Amino acid sequence: MSITNKTFFEAEIDALYLRAPFSRQMYLQIRQSKHFMALYYMKKLELDDLANTAFLSRFHYVRVFKRMYGLTPRAYLRDLRISKAKEFIESGASITTVCFDVGYESPSTFSSVFKKCTGHSPKEYQKLYNAI
Amino acid sequence: MLKIYVTSIPVDDQEKALNFYTKTLGFIKKTEVPLGEHKWLTVVSPNEQLGVELLLEPMAFEPTRVYQKALKEAGIPCTSFEVDDLEGEFERLKALDVQFSMPPKEAGTVKIAVLDDTCGNYIQLMQKL
Repeated sequence: MSITNKTFFEAEIDALYLRAPFSRQMYLQIRQSKHFMALYYMKKLELDDLANTAFLSRFHYVRVFKRMYGLTPRAYLRDLRISKAKEFIESGASITTVCFDVGYESPSTFSSVFKKCTGHSPKEYQKLYNAI
Repeated sequence: MLKIYVTSIPVDDQEKALNFYTKTLGFIKKTEVPLGEHKWLTVVSPNEQLGVELLLEPMAFEPTRVYQKALKEAGIPCTSFEVDDLEGEFERLKALDVQFSMPPKEAGTVKIAVLDDTCGNYIQLMQKL
């Protein structure tokens, strides 16, 4: 029996990672697509573009991404865009500018997605933030 | 609609905890309301001041101590905070003499480390990969 200084928690983490259903290479491929989203969230991104960056078919890409991160690439991209939108609003940018800067083509779609994700419209969020 | 606005962490000393969570970890005090011999004391992330608050909750309920001790002995973090750059944060906190039970380690879609908050808890830091 080997001697280890690992806590119960650390040993469990190691065991879980070893039992993970994906290879290290697959993790890297999926991370590459996340990195692509982080670089190009302001552009119009199609599912095919994302799947291509991971060298996977659309179907396989969505399945693996969801299995790894617990949400679809589309939901991940939406969350990333809204998170960036919050940052830009906090830095003082206008709502319309923010809308286009995070990859939305329609201010009304942006506003409704923002409200769905944060509970506030972009304007309300701007007011709340400015009140801090 | 219900909204998650606070989560709590048991601490053995609220003042000591406030000091560690603000001066060392970098949170900001949000609310401090005297309640009997303790306080309703919350902190928030500087970048998420409208976000979920962390309540530094006094251990007035004895079984909490037993639970906290059991978690600590197993090395299980009481909660988890997200960071953008785990290695950078690890180095910054090490320089401030923060003790880690687990240095940064990659585990699938995340990189994690576990630190001692000096108030009876282990805290996990997590960077999404």
